[in-house]
Amino acid sequence: MNRKGVGGRGSGVRRAARLLKLGSLVVLILLLSPETGAAQGLPVRGFLQGAVSGRVGDPEPCPTSQARACRENFLIGEERLQLELSRSWGWIGAAGKLDLFHDAVDNEADVDLREVYLDLRHGIVDLRIGRQILTWGVGDLVFINDVFPKDRVAFISGFPLEYLKKGSDGVSVTLSHALASLQLVFVPHFRPDTFPEAGGRLRFFDPFGAITARHTDEPSPSVDTTEIAGRLFRTLFGWDLALYAYRGFFHLPSLEMESGPTLRFFFPRLYAYGASAQGNILNGVASVELGFYDSEQDRSGTNAGIENSQFRYLLGYQREIRPDLTVGFQYYGELMLEHDRYRAALPPGVPPKAAVRHVLTARLTQLLLHQTLRLGLFGLWSPNEGDLFFNPEVKYNVTDNLWAAVGGNFFVGSAHTEFGQFEGNTNLYAVVRYAF
Amino acid sequence: MMVLRLRRAGWVALGASLAVLALARPVAAQPTADEIMTKAHLAMYYAGEDMRARVTMRLVSRDGGERIRELTMSRRDLKEGGEQRYFIYFHRPPDVRDMTFLVWKYPGRDDDRWLYIPALKLVRRIAASDKRSSFAGSDFSYEDVSGREPEEDTHKLLREEKAGERSAYVVESVPKESGSVDFARKLSWIDKATWLPLKEEYYDRRGELARVFTGEELKEIQGFWTVTKRIMKNVQTGHWSEAVLADLRYNQKLSADLFSERYLRAPPAELTR
Repeated sequence: MNRKGVGGRGSGVRRAARLLKLGSLVVLILLLSPETGAAQGLPVRGFLQGAVSGRVGDPEPCPTSQARACRENFLIGEERLQLELSRSWGWIGAAGKLDLFHDAVDNEADVDLREVYLDLRHGIVDLRIGRQILTWGVGDLVFINDVFPKDRVAFISGFPLEYLKKGSDGVSVTLSHALASLQLVFVPHFRPDTFPEAGGRLRFFDPFGAITARHTDEPSPSVDTTEIAGRLFRTLFGWDLALYAYRGFFHLPSLEMESGPTLRFFFPRLYAYGASAQGNILNGVASVELGFYDSEQDRSGTNAGIENSQFRYLLGYQREIRPDLTVGFQYYGELMLEHDRYRAALPPGVPPKAAVRHVLTARLTQLLLHQTLRLGLFGLWSPNEGDLFFNPEVKYNVTDNLWAAVGGNFFVGSAHTEFGQFEGNTNLYAVVRYAF
Repeated sequence: MMVLRLRRAGWVALGASLAVLALARPVAAQPTADEIMTKAHLAMYYAGEDMRARVTMRLVSRDGGERIRELTMSRRDLKEGGEQRYFIYFHRPPDVRDMTFLVWKYPGRDDDRWLYIPALKLVRRIAASDKRSSFAGSDFSYEDVSGREPEEDTHKLLREEKAGERSAYVVESVPKESGSVDFARKLSWIDKATWLPLKEEYYDRRGELARVFTGEELKEIQGFWTVTKRIMKNVQTGHWSEAVLADLRYNQKLSADLFSERYLRAPPAELTR
């Protein structure tokens, strides 16, 4: 699959992006250099990890685009070494996380720069420059104002949860004040979500499964395509309050048919505005989050290929019902704003989405044996669209350095629903990690 | 003369009553059980305006298996005997390294607690309803770490006796609301000289001894007596935990601003040393 840039304006921004990459390299060198690092007893930390995940069940039919996924029984089979370095010199700090892994399924080795950034702190200002993971909002595996890139393939396949988050290449500025704090994030180099694609290991709903000519256009770095995200937050009477705004792109692609026929994937413009609150109620923690997704390229709702504008909302509550046993529930809704026009524009044969997608989630976590054994269950179910996802997991800390986890990702539902489409990826996984 | 004699008698009477008062003073100043427990609470959990210590916890199972938790704990009092803020930075084990934990503690209502998970860059709000929950998997509960308010129990001074080399008050405490705690009765040996707890015995609802706390080592640091080594043993399971406080510093002028989301996400050296 080839990728080419669009919106080629602003070579200055591209230069900035290049500088950012160069900066990352400088941070790495700083971290590794003997003067600043090893000579001072620099601790190299990280882990060695083995992970395997196997598909259970394989629904028919198998579209052409997924011939590989239909054949492949293993979603994960890999060994991974993560190296983590961090240093700080008073007001300046640097950190990096580098993954080296061998993928036994494809028998190839690769490198993943998870994070690398420079921190500067002065007075009320915190500056973080480089590849960084950003997490906002109060949802538990339900995202409204967390518009930052995610690796959905890792999540579906059974990687540890931290691999759901991908770093953003940009600059974050936080101004802290007693009245309210403001965080602004600028991301010149767009990174989309990692999502199941044709030719990959994962099954997914593909209404155009017979078309193998496909390409993806990503917004190329420019002033105009720089993502900007803002969060204004403070704690008031024990409640964490936040307002959010975002200008950027959907991180999951839309598609359109070009002559050939060729499928073109692209990332439509997105403006998002939202708010959240979280605090103690009735011996537990209550969460509320709202978001408005303004889909600029399809405000009228007449283009079925692009997401309509949406209103998203979440109510959550979690509580420790007895020592070491915590339960959490969420209700999440996704309201499509121009559902009638969406339905009218939908090509024949494509099953429509509901005007409102209702979702209920539950999480149960029981800690045992002095919190070294964790039994976890997360379930997500849409009562009106009928799809279901659940993830039971047992994790045991064999020693302080070694843990092992086994679990399953179960997807149920009709093929066109958000989680039902992954039914063919239902898997059992095992992960062993030695941390040092 | 008469007048003089009377006057003299008056002086004698005054002197005598002063002498009686002076003699009686230790008896009159005999503290009540409530006073002892309030003083013990302040000595144990409110020493100084702020505090920071490197804490090494050893979790030992009955068969001798050991786990180590190492953390830096900082505390700042907003009001003596009242609102407090705690900041905990984990050094080990590796799977919780760099994790931070922030508690805003209020007398009379639930704490606000936040946990920061560095791998996800996620600040998570933690439900704080059960103060008897284990702290980091140890035999110490949250309440053992940050204190249980004396007003939550009814106290009775049982006796005075030696605990090791030290003279102590023995106080019995019974929770006013039995549903919220896992003990029905607690006996505390409070050191007369420092007001620190030398020993505590927790009894369950069947009246059986469940957990025993011992203050193994007391040190005077910057004028504040501190239990620098403490053990909590679960006598029913045989599991026990030891916490050793090192590099302890009081009154470092830790700003209350440090105990906020900003520093939870990026803790400064003051809170991680």
